[in-house]
Amino acid sequence: MSNCKKLEPFVTPYVDGELDAARRSEVDAHLCQCPPCDSRVAAERAVRHLIQARKVALERICAPRELRARCSQARSAAVADPHATGTLKRRAALARWRLPLRSFALAATLVLIVGGAFVHELTDGSSRVMCAELVVDHLKCFGIINPVIGTNDRPEVVEGSIASLGWHPRLPERPEQAGLSLLGARLCLYGKGRVAHIMYLHNGHPMSVFMLPKTAKPEEVLDVMGHEAAIWSAGGRTFVLITREPRREVEQTVSYVQAALR
Amino acid sequence: MPEPVKRTARAVAFEAEALAAIDSLYRTALRLTRDPADAEDLVQDTYLKAFRAADRFEPGTNLRAWLFTILHNTARNRARDRARESVAIDSEAVDRAVEAPPPGLRDAAETPESILLRDTMDPELQAAVDALPEAFREAVWLRDVEEFTYAEIAQMLEIPIGTVMSRISRGRRMLFDALNHVKLQEA
Repeated sequence: MSNCKKLEPFVTPYVDGELDAARRSEVDAHLCQCPPCDSRVAAERAVRHLIQARKVALERICAPRELRARCSQARSAAVADPHATGTLKRRAALARWRLPLRSFALAATLVLIVGGAFVHELTDGSSRVMCAELVVDHLKCFGIINPVIGTNDRPEVVEGSIASLGWHPRLPERPEQAGLSLLGARLCLYGKGRVAHIMYLHNGHPMSVFMLPKTAKPEEVLDVMGHEAAIWSAGGRTFVLITREPRREVEQTVSYVQAALR
Repeated sequence: MPEPVKRTARAVAFEAEALAAIDSLYRTALRLTRDPADAEDLVQDTYLKAFRAADRFEPGTNLRAWLFTILHNTARNRARDRARESVAIDSEAVDRAVEAPPPGLRDAAETPESILLRDTMDPELQAAVDALPEAFREAVWLRDVEEFTYAEIAQMLEIPIGTVMSRISRGRRMLFDALNHVKLQEA
């Protein structure tokens, strides 16, 4: 019935009592002679009334107390700094820096390209190939794997989590001095379980520091797959710092890490 | 050290009224993000933006609706930034979809309303609401629980008013079918 179609846009406002008297009478008239439409309206009304009757149960969940406190502070932060784009200190800010999936798609493409290079020891080939593998690991870990760790973990705690490395990497003790917040450490996807992958946020941006034992490489900074890769060796270990940040930031952070681990 | 800010009575009242909505905002944030940590971030960001934009709020208009609009805006921007694979609902396709007519009344003495009210347990209702596709769930919740107007909902969700009404209609009927389906199975 074409009238039923015409009724469509008016059903919800009819149920909600939002129609003017004239329109409401029209709808009433139709419903009197159309059982299917009448059922349909009755069903919609029943659900609306059920939800309204059970509102208390549906509104059972409340905001956590700490959230309430932080949001009160939001007012002071807003007043103190009205134009900043910064945000308040958060709980486990894992999701904020998760890279968009397209970065992973790029990494996946490169995995296909450099696949053959995984066979040899990580540092046997050119530095550039090594860095390509490490950039892929960096992208994968920040993009996909959700490390179940908090921000600002203490270095000694994190060091304990990669005990199976077989050697003991030292981490800078006070990374926050250089704007670094330590997320955690894992075994690098490549390097056969011997390479440590330390994950940081540097001023909110993902930054990885890879540590390779018993190797030495000439110091240099490469541009690999849209990332800066800084390589240096000290004390029989090779370090590779990987980030998308500008070279200036890279050099400053490298200097800091070198000094901290001297 | 910044000077302490003098707060007018109006500013104090504004803050109190804004914070009064935190439970509702958190519930909606939880539905949108499906993750408590993300939900907290979303609510916090919403308040930060709201307090920064406080002078743009027109006194006398609906403060809760304003906050909900900021929340939904922020949630949409985050989802876009993360390039999530979310299924976008094509409003017109939804409206054009052929629907099966709802089941007719089985027993003339009972109304759908009385059956539902009598037989639906709270957890069942919550689960049925949670199971709705987001577009319909939001429309029904914002209307029947939060009691916003169609115009306010249209602004929050950035959809036309007609779409708001059709989504509410469809959402309510999906709930009805879902809840009755359970009853038929239990019978």
